[in-house]
Amino acid sequence: MSGGRAAPRRERTALFAQGEPMIWLTGGGLALALAMIAGLLALVVVQGSVTLWPGPVTRVELNDGRAVMGEVARSESVGATGGDGPVRRRLFRTGNFELTGEHFQWVADSDIRAESRPEWALVVERTAWGRFYGAPQAFLLDGRAAASDPASAWAMYEQHRLAVQRRLRERQRLESRDIGRVNRRIESARLAVKSAELRHGMGSVPHREAVARFEAVERQGLAEHARLRGRIEALNRENARFQLALATADGWEQAIPLADIVRACAPNRLGLAAKWAVYGSRWLEFLSGAPREANSEGGVFPALFGTALMTVVMSVAVVPFGVMAALYLREYAKAGPLVSLVRIAINNLAGVPSIVFGVFGLGFFCYIVGGWLDRSFFAANLPNPTFGKGGLLWSALTLALLTLPVVIVATEESLAAVPNSMREGSYACGAGKWQTIRRIVLPRALPGILTGTILAMARGAGEVAPLMLVGAVKLAPELPVDAVAPFLHPERSFMHLGFHIFDLGFQSPNSEAARPMVFTVTLLLIALIFLLNLVAVLLRARLKKKFVTGAF
Amino acid sequence: MPRWKLARFVLALAAPAAFAQVPLDAGLPVYQPVEGISGTIKSVGSDTLNNLMTLWAEGFRRMYPNVQVEIEGKGSSTAPPALIEGTATFGPMSRPMKEAEVDGFKQKYGYAPLALKTSIDMLAVYVNKDNPVEGLTFAQVDAIFSRDRKLGHPEDLVNWGQFGLPGEWATRPISLYGRNAASGTYGFFKEHVLGKGDYKDSVKEQPGSSAVVQGVASDRGGIGYSGIGYKTADVRAVPLAMAEGEDFVPATPDQAYTGDYPLARFLLVYVNRRPGAELDPLQREFIRYVFSRQGQEDVLKDGYFPVTAAMAREALQAAGIE
Repeated sequence: MSGGRAAPRRERTALFAQGEPMIWLTGGGLALALAMIAGLLALVVVQGSVTLWPGPVTRVELNDGRAVMGEVARSESVGATGGDGPVRRRLFRTGNFELTGEHFQWVADSDIRAESRPEWALVVERTAWGRFYGAPQAFLLDGRAAASDPASAWAMYEQHRLAVQRRLRERQRLESRDIGRVNRRIESARLAVKSAELRHGMGSVPHREAVARFEAVERQGLAEHARLRGRIEALNRENARFQLALATADGWEQAIPLADIVRACAPNRLGLAAKWAVYGSRWLEFLSGAPREANSEGGVFPALFGTALMTVVMSVAVVPFGVMAALYLREYAKAGPLVSLVRIAINNLAGVPSIVFGVFGLGFFCYIVGGWLDRSFFAANLPNPTFGKGGLLWSALTLALLTLPVVIVATEESLAAVPNSMREGSYACGAGKWQTIRRIVLPRALPGILTGTILAMARGAGEVAPLMLVGAVKLAPELPVDAVAPFLHPERSFMHLGFHIFDLGFQSPNSEAARPMVFTVTLLLIALIFLLNLVAVLLRARLKKKFVTGAF
Repeated sequence: MPRWKLARFVLALAAPAAFAQVPLDAGLPVYQPVEGISGTIKSVGSDTLNNLMTLWAEGFRRMYPNVQVEIEGKGSSTAPPALIEGTATFGPMSRPMKEAEVDGFKQKYGYAPLALKTSIDMLAVYVNKDNPVEGLTFAQVDAIFSRDRKLGHPEDLVNWGQFGLPGEWATRPISLYGRNAASGTYGFFKEHVLGKGDYKDSVKEQPGSSAVVQGVASDRGGIGYSGIGYKTADVRAVPLAMAEGEDFVPATPDQAYTGDYPLARFLLVYVNRRPGAELDPLQREFIRYVFSRQGQEDVLKDGYFPVTAAMAREALQAAGIE
């Protein structure tokens, strides 16, 4: 009897001893996690990559005589009130905001009389007012029609487009580089007057000298300005000669200067290769251009650059401090209640909500430290703050604080993993404490330290909440790095991809058009973090090879 | 091409804004750039004005590519502290500063900040595009959003059926969307529509004006309030009436200047200007740009309504510019 009872128990034990259920449980957990990640990535990649694809342009004539032309953004079906089943309706991106006051329009299928895809339906992306949908009617040269049918108007557009773009670039160069140089000279002379006034008093000798210098610089600057303005005017005049006249679906006619056109295409005429070319050109603009029209159009380059630079500055700030703190805690400090307390405090720091760091950064870095710097070194600029506001440096330092525990904990772990026998061997050879750390311990621990750095970078690049308080802003097209001395401008606010996602999603005036961009920017942020991590992983692999094999 | 068609093209080029729904006042001066402007424009404040400030900054930078701009818009309540601390040179607000905020500013500088009326907004009450409700009185809006019902509507409104809507709407509950407390729109709505009563706890507070509109767009029973500039094809601005028996006034452009629409308001920009003193050149030029033809065209672009030439002149005089 007792043997009969024992048998099934043995079987059950055997099952668990084999570990079969645990394999399924852990494997299932992994599969679920992978499926969720893959699903999320697929959503972001698919949604993010179709945004810039040139879709077909549809023209519909409605029963009430109106006509609507545009790209179909999405469709839905609604239960009809009349009772003849669900009706599909589609959201058309109709553009032409200055004529209609709308970017999008809903059209129900039941209201449609005729539907077509006109060959000459042009999508014009403009520098202002958003997209324009229409058919080319004429090409105007000096206000006269030089071509008056779609095909030849389009051919003339293609012919003159590049020259107009070249003049635009030339104008931009004159404006931002040459006029900028003059403006900066005048501004710095004006600031010199102001600081001489602050330091030596109004009417003192240095003040009078500064005023005289300022007047000379200003006179010279004004002459220079007049010359540059003249050249810009000439370029503008030349560009204003070319216009493309378009007719909208509901009969309005509009002439668009070529200088205002960023890109125009007739998607219904394009073959697959030409569509890919438009797609590529849109991506290029998206990655390398500055945002336009309150961020709802144009590119995200300032945000991309700001995110990458901020993450790098943060890493440069956090790694040395984190490693030094961990070295002291692990190698020098005597184990005791105080060290334990410090460790607990560091671990707790990792659990503090990130927005708290943001508040601290705003209060301490921006207001106290920044305010002090402004009063001491940039008094002439006041009331315009220089450091006494959010900026790249303050953001990087705030995030450095936030990610400090990650670096400290990872470094401590990797230091602990270095076998004590190696340290003792080093001491036995007569090396001192620091020599041992530098030559024996640190090289062995370096891969672990870099792992901590990678984790910190990934966390820092994806963090948005504290940045909203200490420097990430909606619009800051001027990059924190440029060709003007001192080249790196840590006091400037910057744009951040994470904040850009928030802005597009929740604050855009044209939310319908901005929503697909949210996915595209998300895709970009993920790609950027992946890239930063990849660089760090490769670096770690190299160092591992160099140091670990070199040590033996 | 026939002659008359050409004439229309030229006309369209000369006055692109003429075809928009609100014409610009022809008396607005065209902005002419001046020399020697550089520095940083830093703006902290209203979310309603966030995109407008951005458009102005973009337009201004087209004239002065070296000017740096930094724009933050988390809510009107963030503007006064930023102006007081000196972290911003412009403080856009969708409501006038409160007494306490002006006092805080005076304590530090000894004078009140200068308020510029830059454009006109019609604060709209949005419902989903499918919602058939014809119009709402203030008392009804109050009973929808507020738990206190200070305007004296007899019953709490929680269901669209209470407006006598047909079919599926008869049983659809009202779902509320609003702004967070830092928002000037939140304060303006509370003061002018709710009679300073408190919001219901069921209002879903959103981080931005656009988020309110998107909430209403995706929720068929939704209702929310936001600036007219955030209107999309997915929502409808409900016509409003001050009191029972009055005509419902729609939030359409032709109502912007008649004064009939009950929730029209000025969008303000505050600056720190000592009375009698001259403004910093950069601030002066930015203000001139805002009140120029180009600046007011940006207002149209964002969906708000421009000021008239007389109002622009008055504002420039108040700033000591002309």
